[in-house]
Amino acid sequence: MFHSKMFITLILLVLPVLVVVGFADILGGRLGDRIATTLFINLILVLGLQVFMGNSGILSFAHIGFMGIGAYTSGVLSMSMQMKSMALPDLYPVIQAIEITPFEGMIVGGLVAALVAAVVSYPLMRLSDAAAVITSFALLVVLHTIMVHWNEVTNGPRTLFGVQGGTTIYSSAAVATVMIVVAMMYKESRAGILLRAVRDDEVAVGAIGADISRLRWQGFVLSAFMAGVAGSVWAHFITSFSPAAFYLHETFVILGMLVIGGAATVSGAVLGTFAVTAAFEGLRSLENAINIAELFPKPLVGLTEVVLACAMIGFLILRPGGLIGNYELAALPRFRGLFRAADGGRDRPGDRSEH
Amino acid sequence: MLRVESLQVRYGAIAAVKGVDIAVRRGELVAVLGANGAGKSSTLLAIAGALKVASGRIFLEGEDVASLTPERIVRKGIAMVPETRNVFADLTVTENLRLGAFIHRHDKRRTSAAIDEVMALFTVLGERADQAAGTLSGGEQQQLVIARALVSDPKILLLDEPSLGLAPTIVAKIFGLIEKLRERGMTILLVEQNAAQALKCADRAYVFSLGEVAASGSASEIASNTDLEAIYLGK
Amino acid sequence: MLGTIIQFVIDVLSLGSLYALMALGLVIVYGILKMVNFAYGELIMVAGYSLYLLNGSPLPWLVMAVIAIVMAILTGMLTELVAFRPVREKSVTAVLITSFAFSTLLQNAALLFISPRARTVPLPDIFTRTVEIAGVIIPLRNLLTIVCAVVLLAVFALILKRTMLGIALRAAASQFTMARMLGVPANLIISVAFAISGLFAGIVAMFWLGRIGSVVPGIGLEPLLVAFIATVIGGMRSLVGAVVGGFLLALIDVSLNYLLPQNLLQFRDAFTFTMVIVLLVLRPEGLVRGPATGQRT
Repeated sequence: MFHSKMFITLILLVLPVLVVVGFADILGGRLGDRIATTLFINLILVLGLQVFMGNSGILSFAHIGFMGIGAYTSGVLSMSMQMKSMALPDLYPVIQAIEITPFEGMIVGGLVAALVAAVVSYPLMRLSDAAAVITSFALLVVLHTIMVHWNEVTNGPRTLFGVQGGTTIYSSAAVATVMIVVAMMYKESRAGILLRAVRDDEVAVGAIGADISRLRWQGFVLSAFMAGVAGSVWAHFITSFSPAAFYLHETFVILGMLVIGGAATVSGAVLGTFAVTAAFEGLRSLENAINIAELFPKPLVGLTEVVLACAMIGFLILRPGGLIGNYELAALPRFRGLFRAADGGRDRPGDRSEH
Repeated sequence: MLRVESLQVRYGAIAAVKGVDIAVRRGELVAVLGANGAGKSSTLLAIAGALKVASGRIFLEGEDVASLTPERIVRKGIAMVPETRNVFADLTVTENLRLGAFIHRHDKRRTSAAIDEVMALFTVLGERADQAAGTLSGGEQQQLVIARALVSDPKILLLDEPSLGLAPTIVAKIFGLIEKLRERGMTILLVEQNAAQALKCADRAYVFSLGEVAASGSASEIASNTDLEAIYLGK
Repeated sequence: MLGTIIQFVIDVLSLGSLYALMALGLVIVYGILKMVNFAYGELIMVAGYSLYLLNGSPLPWLVMAVIAIVMAILTGMLTELVAFRPVREKSVTAVLITSFAFSTLLQNAALLFISPRARTVPLPDIFTRTVEIAGVIIPLRNLLTIVCAVVLLAVFALILKRTMLGIALRAAASQFTMARMLGVPANLIISVAFAISGLFAGIVAMFWLGRIGSVVPGIGLEPLLVAFIATVIGGMRSLVGAVVGGFLLALIDVSLNYLLPQNLLQFRDAFTFTMVIVLLVLRPEGLVRGPATGQRT
């Protein structure tokens, strides 16, 4: 199950994370830190999406909703009691009394998200692909609606302020690294391989006795856990947020990163996140520069999204597999020679993700 | 009338048809035999335009139609009845037939005349004219799809495994109808696993094996050739 | 009491009519292509902004409405060209993403070129008039919605049943490649399906705007969601299913409106969704059994 090519890929994927941390350290500056931390958090999100979408072949729009669950859970529970009474005056006494550290909050946030996912999604796993996607979209909207209206816990549509800080560039990088390993391990695990097989041939997998709904459900719950963790980490980074952060825009960005990188592989998720973040920051600077220079009568808002949308469509038309396609990094044909010595050059089952 | 030269058809990286030459003369019934996976259906689908031709040429009365879309190919006079039958299940028998005449739909008289004609030939269709096609039995559906192909007044009819999944008495009936079509001068290219029945009504036959033509000749030659049993069973 | 019942019934019927039309517009494309159009809600947005841009012109409202609907139709066909045609051979997921991306593109275009703020749209006087039945005041608009929907559904059903175009559309939805092999032009049929989808969206938009009064870039989200859920409830296999799904969803929504206590009313959508999930647990294939598959032997 675990083999050398996988380790090489893991090392190759963790490398950019370390490089970015190093860069940010050397160049210093709050801006670099901010961009890097956001990058790592997005990476966790994209990896979580890859775990479900890449292996099951089903698109899930609900992912960011679970991020929100994680963010609010961890954010609220980790607030000091004083802070809670200021920021959330109507909060239920039971929750008021609880106070945990951001680290504990991260775990709890992930677990709560996973729990919600487990309960809500089980009936949905039996739906046909198109119906499943549509329902996941509805789920996102519903989660968002609940966040917007549950004033006692989330402060409603308004900003929730006073969340404890605690996320640093190092901690987010560490979590991201762990998640890379998790995503890879799931992919190579029996559950992951079976789920990919279901994507390719449902009938055959059913014939060997595997419970298809259960496999999908497992992937979905793990994916939600990762999203919850990402949400918690983000909450303690940004320290104040509102439900608007967990809706269509973020969904679109994360999806874009995965699609452009390549949904079939963990390498794709990582590469896509880095590539799109780089492009995004570049475009944002451009947008700002244009607005400052007042080249156009109205300030440009939304230009970045338009470009990203075009890029997504372009990739899907020209390179539907994304940048990476079907092979994890160490198994890519062009690198095969380099890594041939590692395991005698044979192709392993997990190298190539059939599409 | 139909000449296929060096046809190659691929499914991704897998070559299903590896260089096939076939000829069908006007008024002939030519059978294509062979084991499962030999490339027979793929050849027919490629002629009909439903599958992409990797390389090779397909001449209909001298014109190369290999790269045409299915919509254009049926207008040239090639009508295909796929192995999966593909009746439009929630349309009535009559509606299915009207669709068969789609390319002539502007000529209402021609359409109704054609429909009347096939209903006379395939009497059960007339009886079930307003029933949903999905409620017909397998044999009736087979008759429907052949009739539907005929309504377009084709020059050549491609039949893919018409006896598939049908009871022996029904198979006999279907082949009886195919014989009748042949007597009326229809040019037919017939893919069949039921070699015995096919060779009884065919003029000539090809035997496919693993994507290539393993043998060809007149129907009686093929029928009496015992080596072919081996090829057929894929030995 | 009678008044409340009448109000309830008309509410359900008028909202159901809208929901049914929304769902139909989505299923028309799904039935043939087996692909979901995420940019469907934006067709309503385009119609809305067209109305907004025409505001103040000397044209009578009906003409403005027709223009807005035409814009929705054209945008529908544009969606097909940009987000579907280049990718439809590749995979169903690819199309979901491209249409989602196109939807974002359209919304952000509206944001960029018009405004992120709500913009009022011109509405005909008839939309503000009311009528009194059994002591209850009913907006005339609701009755108009019901009439319009019935007429539209009847005309559409007739076209599907009686005309060659309708037969070709149904055949394409049943067996797309086989229809092509009989000469039905694939691209044309698909474009027609998107055009019809745009027509429905445009008409829905007029009544939807009548309820809201203004247009924002995100106006298409709720109708899209409605169409999605109604379609899933209905079973995604038939037009009848879409209509049934739409009315059922409206029934649930209106009932919850009447029944939920004030403080829970804002979570109405969560309740609706929960009920939908329950429904799907009991019947994952949806409510309406689809057309026969045709394989019997």
